Amino acid sequence: MLAHALVFYLFSFIAISSSLAVISSKNTVHAVFFLILDFVSISCLFIMMGAEYLGMLTLIVYVGAVAVLFLFVVMMLNVNFKDLRTGFLSYLPFGLLIGIVIIIELGMMIGTWKYKDSFIKTSEIQISSKVSNTEALGNVLYTDFIHYFQISGIILLVAMIGAILLTFRQKENLKRQDITKQVSRERDDGVLLEEVESFKGVKLND
Amino acid sequence: MIELQNIFPEIFLTLSLLLLLIAGVFLKNSFSLIKKITIILLLICIPLVYVNYDNQILIFNNNYSINNFSNLLKIIILISSAFSLIFTGQYLKRLKIEKFEYMILILCSTLGMFVMVSTNNLIGLYLGIELQSLSLYVLSSIDRNSLKSSESGVKYFVLGALSSGLFLYGCSLIYGFTGSTNYLIINENFTVENIGLIFGLVFVIVGLAFKVSAVPFHMWTPDVYEGSPTAVTAFFALAPKVAGMGAFIQILFVAFGGAFAEWKTIIIFISVASMILGSVAAIGQTNIKRLMAYSSIGHMGYGLAGLATGSLSGISATLSYIFIYVVMNIAAFTSILFFSRDKKYCEDIRDLGGLSKNHPVVAVCFCIILFSLAGIPPLAGFFAKFYIFKSVIESEMYILAVIGLLSSVISAFYYLRIIKIMYFDTEQEKFDDISGLGMKFSLFSSSFLILFYFINPSFLVNITEIASKVFN
Repeated sequence: MLAHALVFYLFSFIAISSSLAVISSKNTVHAVFFLILDFVSISCLFIMMGAEYLGMLTLIVYVGAVAVLFLFVVMMLNVNFKDLRTGFLSYLPFGLLIGIVIIIELGMMIGTWKYKDSFIKTSEIQISSKVSNTEALGNVLYTDFIHYFQISGIILLVAMIGAILLTFRQKENLKRQDITKQVSRERDDGVLLEEVESFKGVKLND
Repeated sequence: MIELQNIFPEIFLTLSLLLLLIAGVFLKNSFSLIKKITIILLLICIPLVYVNYDNQILIFNNNYSINNFSNLLKIIILISSAFSLIFTGQYLKRLKIEKFEYMILILCSTLGMFVMVSTNNLIGLYLGIELQSLSLYVLSSIDRNSLKSSESGVKYFVLGALSSGLFLYGCSLIYGFTGSTNYLIINENFTVENIGLIFGLVFVIVGLAFKVSAVPFHMWTPDVYEGSPTAVTAFFALAPKVAGMGAFIQILFVAFGGAFAEWKTIIIFISVASMILGSVAAIGQTNIKRLMAYSSIGHMGYGLAGLATGSLSGISATLSYIFIYVVMNIAAFTSILFFSRDKKYCEDIRDLGGLSKNHPVVAVCFCIILFSLAGIPPLAGFFAKFYIFKSVIESEMYILAVIGLLSSVISAFYYLRIIKIMYFDTEQEKFDDISGLGMKFSLFSSSFLILFYFINPSFLVNITEIASKVFN
């Protein structure tokens, strides 16, 4: 158990410190790397809790897709982030004030809210230990929740159509290579032999 | 075994949108063809819904309900989607947004609305809302050459994402306290004493109020309506409002039926605020699209007033109101699309001066529409408001009725001002003649319906009463 606790604290420490580093590092590329580190350590925490499916999903979706995409965008956009930081000090007091108000509100909510009685206790939820998380999800995803699954598919299709519709521009007057056209070109198509009389010249019909 | 014939309209829509997508990719310049096919498919879908009209069943583990109520709303949604394509073809061509994806997105959005009004589960509702609004975000910025259109798309997207976040937060609270996302189980486990549940209820209402643009969550409406291409604005004003109201009724009466006393005050507040803001803020507007935006906010206020009664007659009044609202908006937006000079569309109401002399027929139609929007008898708009106030007074909520009547009087001012400009102000140049058959058809059929609604009002009343009995 000691090893378990040690590993848990190690990963938690890495997760918290790297998430702090995300918002405090000056270099945006470094910030994205810290974000990836944060996601990796959180997925390790998930796996330690027995939610191996969620952990793997975090790795694949957040680290594999989202964060790498972030990295590309940050590298390619070349936004001058120094200018973005100039207003930091002037916004600080106002931001701090709102932050403090939210923290007080959250504290009041948790303090006065007798949530312990009304939340459903985890011990009451029936979990069969025979099937793994992935299997349990798969069992309902394609049976009970099939219509949500299908609708989600249509939503993704709409996202794809929208992205293409809003960014794709058909270029006109674009010269494309057409191999059949090139190969089937005969000598007569390109060459014209003409007798030219001296001092007269010749007129060519285009 | 799930009886798939019950969700046949949904399957039909999905397949047709996928096939049209393939067709659109392979056929070049297929805008007009696909538009016609889409209109026909949407109209075919109406009898498909109607075949199972009187079925009352729950499918997918009680998570999807097919009944009179959802079927009625589906038919209204199909009508409004089809009409929003019928009268906008010419506009889209002139603005050079002849992209076949326009129709695909409208079909996707319609599918999302079907899910919204039929679902019996918070997850399904969320997915339906997302499918609907994701298509709308893209549609509103479809005119890429216009800065305003892009701006409105981004604005709508950011605020829509915010409202989805609020909605999901409410859903997670409700799930945490009741142990299920199914409406029926939520209703069983709902305890009014639990503050967490009331919190969740409020957040869910906020998310939905955003979608129907009720005050105080209306900020996006005027900007998005003004910025989007007018054809898209017309679609915004029609189908999503119907679906939003349907989802509102479904969740309030099925999932939170036991907490009527709790949500009643919220709905009354939203309704009163929308009615007042819709009528007062529109007075200063000169852009007709912004004016229609405030008008739709006000109309949503009246619709919600029916819900605030919590009675079956209130629901049926709201349903009638929505149907008549849709008809009036089809007519109004067709007229707005008519106001073009040299293929440039006018949005300023001062451009309408002298319309009565240059185009007497259109002027009369628009005049009827505006009188109806203001609620003047014997036009359809009057009956819509009459049903609402009748059910409100039956529930002895006199203050709500008085505020509604007063704001209706205030809103009459800006509708009448447009009529005054059309008939008495200095004459402007002539507008282009209507060339599209679709515009003529939708303008005359909807004006006809508004004008002669009083001959047989019991038809609509009977349908909506049967639909409202679902919540008994």
